[in-house]
Amino acid sequence: MTIDTQTTGAPAFGARPIAVMDPAIRQIRDLVYKVSGIYQVEEKLYLLVDGCARGLKQLSLKNPREYWDHLTAHPSRDGELRQLLNEITIGETCLFRSQPQLDALRKVILREFVAEKTKQAVKKLRVWSAGCSTGEEPYTLAMNLMEESEGLLKGWQFEIVATDLNDRSVETAKVGVYGDYAVRNTPEYFKRKYFVPSDDKKLQVRPEVKKNITFNRLNLTDESKMLFMKGMDLICCCNVLIYFDGTSKTRVINHFFSNLNYGGYFFLGTSESLLGMSGQFHLVHFPGTIAYWKPPLQGAKP
Amino acid sequence: MTTIVAPDIRKRVSRIETTPAIPAVLLPLLKLLKEPSERVDLDDVVELVSYDKAIAAQCIRVASSPLFGLAKPPQSISAAVVSLGLRRVESILLTCCMGQAFPISKWGLDPLVFWKHSLGCAMVCRKFSESLAGVDGEKAYMAGLFHDIGFLANCMVFSKEFARAVQHATQEQIPLGEAELAAMGFTHCETGRAVAEQWKLDEEIIQVIAHHHDVERSESSPALVAMVHLCDLLCRMRGLGYGYYERQKADLLFDPAWAILLKEHPDLQEVDLARFTFELDDAIEEISGLVSTVFGGSAKKS
Repeated sequence: MTIDTQTTGAPAFGARPIAVMDPAIRQIRDLVYKVSGIYQVEEKLYLLVDGCARGLKQLSLKNPREYWDHLTAHPSRDGELRQLLNEITIGETCLFRSQPQLDALRKVILREFVAEKTKQAVKKLRVWSAGCSTGEEPYTLAMNLMEESEGLLKGWQFEIVATDLNDRSVETAKVGVYGDYAVRNTPEYFKRKYFVPSDDKKLQVRPEVKKNITFNRLNLTDESKMLFMKGMDLICCCNVLIYFDGTSKTRVINHFFSNLNYGGYFFLGTSESLLGMSGQFHLVHFPGTIAYWKPPLQGAKP
Repeated sequence: MTTIVAPDIRKRVSRIETTPAIPAVLLPLLKLLKEPSERVDLDDVVELVSYDKAIAAQCIRVASSPLFGLAKPPQSISAAVVSLGLRRVESILLTCCMGQAFPISKWGLDPLVFWKHSLGCAMVCRKFSESLAGVDGEKAYMAGLFHDIGFLANCMVFSKEFARAVQHATQEQIPLGEAELAAMGFTHCETGRAVAEQWKLDEEIIQVIAHHHDVERSESSPALVAMVHLCDLLCRMRGLGYGYYERQKADLLFDPAWAILLKEHPDLQEVDLARFTFELDDAIEEISGLVSTVFGGSAKKS
């Protein structure tokens, strides 16, 4: 791969220049953000560079500039861009993918839910992992909610609905067996408490975790089925919206909004945003992470 | 939070000026900064800095940071002024002076954490101001750098009470200002104002120091106060806080400060807050390095 190692111009935020960041790479990063809402932060930029290298080799192109031209003007640009998006997001499929999101959930959001729902004498939470892939996210959510069952959520019920378009992913998710790579971020405490050893030195999720989760196949563009996913307090949809074009994406986001209860939250991937499609959602910040919030009616803050 | 400075606070804060550690160049520099830039002579600045070789050397090191976007590091103060402009070099000088001004023996806060927040806020304010027409970026930088100066005053003259407040904030994961109010009956906004008035800082900066936690009560310069409030919150949400987890949610776009800033700067509407947030992550490492360069010396004395 021929990537200019010279630093050119001021990078974003005037931050540290990145040797591999020639102008075309930077333009590709901007294109990825514009199309997907995913911002490739510096420490993950190697994924984008690797993806570009693969594209260059596969398409017999000479440099990132030619690859940029391909991504913006070639008839097969959509397919190529999708492949690149896949490559830059692939590493996020693991348990305990985002500790800041889990901290926000346990330290801030659950407290809000408990305060609000207690007023309504409701002690039930519904969480949806939309695009759950092979189950890493819903199991992580289940384990963290189970941790709170002896404290903040004592006496509460919670239900996690996990859906994915891909049948095979859903079946794999139900089995709940994970190798070293998938559990690389999982704290030892959780490994010991919520897994049992499986064949080939893998770990299997314990049945008591599984019983909190309902796995289903669901196409997020299936309007009629989306209407039945009501009453959610939290929706997590990590790096899934990249697979939709503008119109479908807006439709799916609108569904998520109406599927959430007032006061509910919507989490995306670590560096993923809704761009200009957030509609009625409020973009909110928690330490180390952002989320989208459906505020209570009449703008009352919990 | 009240911003009326009680006489006993003012009296105790007045001791700060007699602290021998304050670099000789700081107060003349602050005076110089109040002059319109066209009336400031480059030779005056160079002469002023030449009194303190350590500060001059540090200033050149800081000006070489990629955060200031120069392709080639400057070799002298004069060269830095030619490349970066007088105003920016003044900001850098001010930063370096501040680093030496507070060699506090009993820091209630980790000094590196404090300076990382203050310098981070200064950088974020300046970057944020670039999106808004007619905002003086260096003024924004200075406002960010000084906004929490009251914490330093607290470390120096209310050390025991403030240490208790920090401990309480850390344990309860609440904002430091809240803990100060509970433990001391006043906050860094009052002590900061007393320091700022004593040093005869610009009225706009005094307003920022006194009101960055209650923007609606600022007596003048509401837009600058609002901007610092928002950037301060953003820093605390993105790893540039006070070194502990703050259990809170920031709804910046619906914060009263956002509306105040928007009223004066309609171009705020165009700011992509999510992207701005992600870009800030890219700058954190560089800001940390810069803090070690500038403030490492004062931290060692703690």
